Amino acid sequence: MKKATFMEIEGRSAGYLALLGFLGIFILAALGATYYMEHNGHYVTGMSNQIVWGMPHVFAVFLIVAASGALNIASISSVFHKTAYKPLAPLSGLLALALLIGGLMILVLDLGRPDRLIVAMTQYNFKSIFAWNMILYNGFFVIVGIYIWTMMQRSMNQYSKYAGFAAFIWRLALTTGTGSIFGFLVARQAYDAAIMAPMFVVMSFAFGMAFFILVLLASYNWTERPLGDAIFNRLKNLLGIFVAGTLYFVIAYHLTNLYAAEHAGVESFILMDGGIYTQMFWIGQILIGSLIPLALVFHPGWSKSRSLVGLASAMVIIGGLATMYVVIIGGQAYPLVMFPGQEVSSSFFDGVVNSYTPSLPEVVLGLGGLATALIVVALAIKILHFLPVSLADEVVDPHANAK
Amino acid sequence: MTQLALVIDLNVCVGCHACVTSCKEWNTSGSAGSLSDDNPYGKDPTGTFFNRVQTYEAGEFPNTETIHFPKSCLHCEDPPCVPVCPTGASYKREEDGIVLVDYDKCIGCRYCSWACPYGAREIDEHQKVMKKCTLCVDRIYDETLPEAERKPACVMSCPTSARLFGDVHDPQSAVSIAIREEGGYALMPEWGTKPSNHYLPRRKTRLHIHEDELVRADNPLKKEQRGHAAPVDDTTLDDSTSW
Repeated sequence: MKKATFMEIEGRSAGYLALLGFLGIFILAALGATYYMEHNGHYVTGMSNQIVWGMPHVFAVFLIVAASGALNIASISSVFHKTAYKPLAPLSGLLALALLIGGLMILVLDLGRPDRLIVAMTQYNFKSIFAWNMILYNGFFVIVGIYIWTMMQRSMNQYSKYAGFAAFIWRLALTTGTGSIFGFLVARQAYDAAIMAPMFVVMSFAFGMAFFILVLLASYNWTERPLGDAIFNRLKNLLGIFVAGTLYFVIAYHLTNLYAAEHAGVESFILMDGGIYTQMFWIGQILIGSLIPLALVFHPGWSKSRSLVGLASAMVIIGGLATMYVVIIGGQAYPLVMFPGQEVSSSFFDGVVNSYTPSLPEVVLGLGGLATALIVVALAIKILHFLPVSLADEVVDPHANAK
Repeated sequence: MTQLALVIDLNVCVGCHACVTSCKEWNTSGSAGSLSDDNPYGKDPTGTFFNRVQTYEAGEFPNTETIHFPKSCLHCEDPPCVPVCPTGASYKREEDGIVLVDYDKCIGCRYCSWACPYGAREIDEHQKVMKKCTLCVDRIYDETLPEAERKPACVMSCPTSARLFGDVHDPQSAVSIAIREEGGYALMPEWGTKPSNHYLPRRKTRLHIHEDELVRADNPLKKEQRGHAAPVDDTTLDDSTSW
C-alpha cells in the first residue's frame, strides 16, 4: 500500500462558496428561530406540558447518535487494524466532531435556559444520566480531538493506536448514555427497556456511516479526486450490515413489548393506530430507512451505481429522523397510564393521545444544527489536510494490482 | 422524619375545581410564580397549573359512576424526578419531605417531566423552568398568618373539606388516621415511588332497613278509627308512651 497523501481542498470555487452560503442561510435562520422562541416563550412552539421534547430534540439526538457512528471508519482502522480504512480515519474523526457540534448546538439552544449552561457544566448530579451525558459529550470532544491530532501530526502517530482505542470505548459509552436517556425512563410505556442502549449503538453505526458516505461522495466528486471501488464497496457493504443490524434490534424491541400484555397499548399505538406515528414507523423507519436502502446496497445491479448508494445513504438519514420522531415524540404522545383500564378525561388533556404539530422555528433550528455540522466539515477540509488526494484502488487496496 | 402530604377524599370531591383555581391564584402571585398563561380565553389555551382535576368513569353502563380525581405532585418518598435532574435543581427536603425545584439552578431541559410517572411537572413557558406543587411551602410556615390558615391554598378552599393536610409519618396525625381507618391508598404504587399524597376511596353508605321496620305493627290511630271496626278498648302504645 502506498503512503496516502493528504491535502486541503482548494476551496475557492463558486460551488464551494455557494455551499458555504447555502449552509450559512440555514444557520442564520436557526439563530433567528432561536431568538423568536426565546423571546416569545415556548408556547409559540408545538411543544406543551405533555410533549416536552419536540422537533429540535429529534434532530439533536439524531445528530449526536450519528456523531458517534461517524467515528466507525477511524475505529476500524485504529482498533481493528484494517489498513485500507486508514486514509479515511481523519475525516471520520472530523465528521464525528462536526455532527456532535451540530447536535449539541440544537440541544443547548432548545434548553429552557441556555444561558445557564454554566450551571449544567459546574453542578453535576451524578445520579442523572443526563449529567453523565454532558460529561460523555465533553469527553468525546477532548478524546477525538487528541485522536485526530495523533493521526495528523507525524511525530504523534505512534500514539494514534491508543487514542483510537480510547475514542472507541468512549463512543460506545456515549451512545449507551444517549440510549439510556430513554432506557432509564420507567415512567413511560414506550421506554424502560435495557435494549434502548445497544439499539442506539447499532443505530449510530448506520446513521454515522450514511453521513460518512454522503460527505465522502460529495467531497470527492466536487473536488474531482479519485475514489476507487475497493474502498467504496466496503463502505457500502458496511452500511447495509449496520442497517440490517438496526432492523434486527427494532424487531427484537417490538416483539418483546408485544409479548407483555402491559405494553400492548403502546405497541398497538405505534404499530397500528397511532396515525402519524404509525406512518412514521412503517413508511419512514422501516420502508425508507431500512428496507429500500438494504435493497439498494445489496442488489447486484443497483449497488454498482454510486448515485443509488448515495440515495440509500440519504434514505437512511431520513429514516433515522423518522425513527427519532417515533421514539421521542411517539413515546410522549402515548398517555401516561395512571388509571389502568379506565377512560380518563379532564380539562387538561389528561388520558388522551397528546397532540403535537411541529412549528416552523423548531424545524428551522433542527436544520440549522445539521447545516452547522456540514459547514464545520466544509471549512475544516479547506484549512487542514483531512482528505487524501486519492482514494483510487491502487492507493487503498494493497492487493489491487494482484487481482 | 416528617413527611408533609395531602390526603384527598374522593368520596366527597365533587370536581368543582376550587382547589385548581385557588392554587393558581396563590402560587401565581407567590414565590413560586408567576405561572404564565397564554391564550387563556382563546382556542388553544396553555398555562402552568400545579393542580389538575381528572375525571373518569368507573364501571360498565348502566352501573357507572363518575370519579373526580384531583392530582398534583404527590411528593413521593422516592421521587423519580430528583435523580434524573442533571444539575440537582430538583430536590427533596430533608426536614419535611417536600419535593421542590430550585428555579435558579433549573436549566429547563425538561427531563424530569419525562421521569415523573404522574405527569405532575409543568414547564413555565415564559420563565422556561420546571415548576410543580410546592405544598404552598411559602404559606404553611408563614407565622404572620393565623395558625388555622397555615395550610396549602387548595386545602383552605375545598368546599367539601375533601382535602386534608399533615404529616403522614406521624401515626396520630389526622391524615394518618384517615389513611389508616378510611382505606387510604397511593396512586400507582407499583411504580415503587411511594407517593406521600394519598386518596381515600369512594365509599357507599347503605342503610339496611328490614321491611318490618317500615310497617307499624301497632297502629296508634287504631283507637280513633271509626266506622269499620269496633272501638278498641285495649291499651295502645299511645297510652303508654310520651308521644
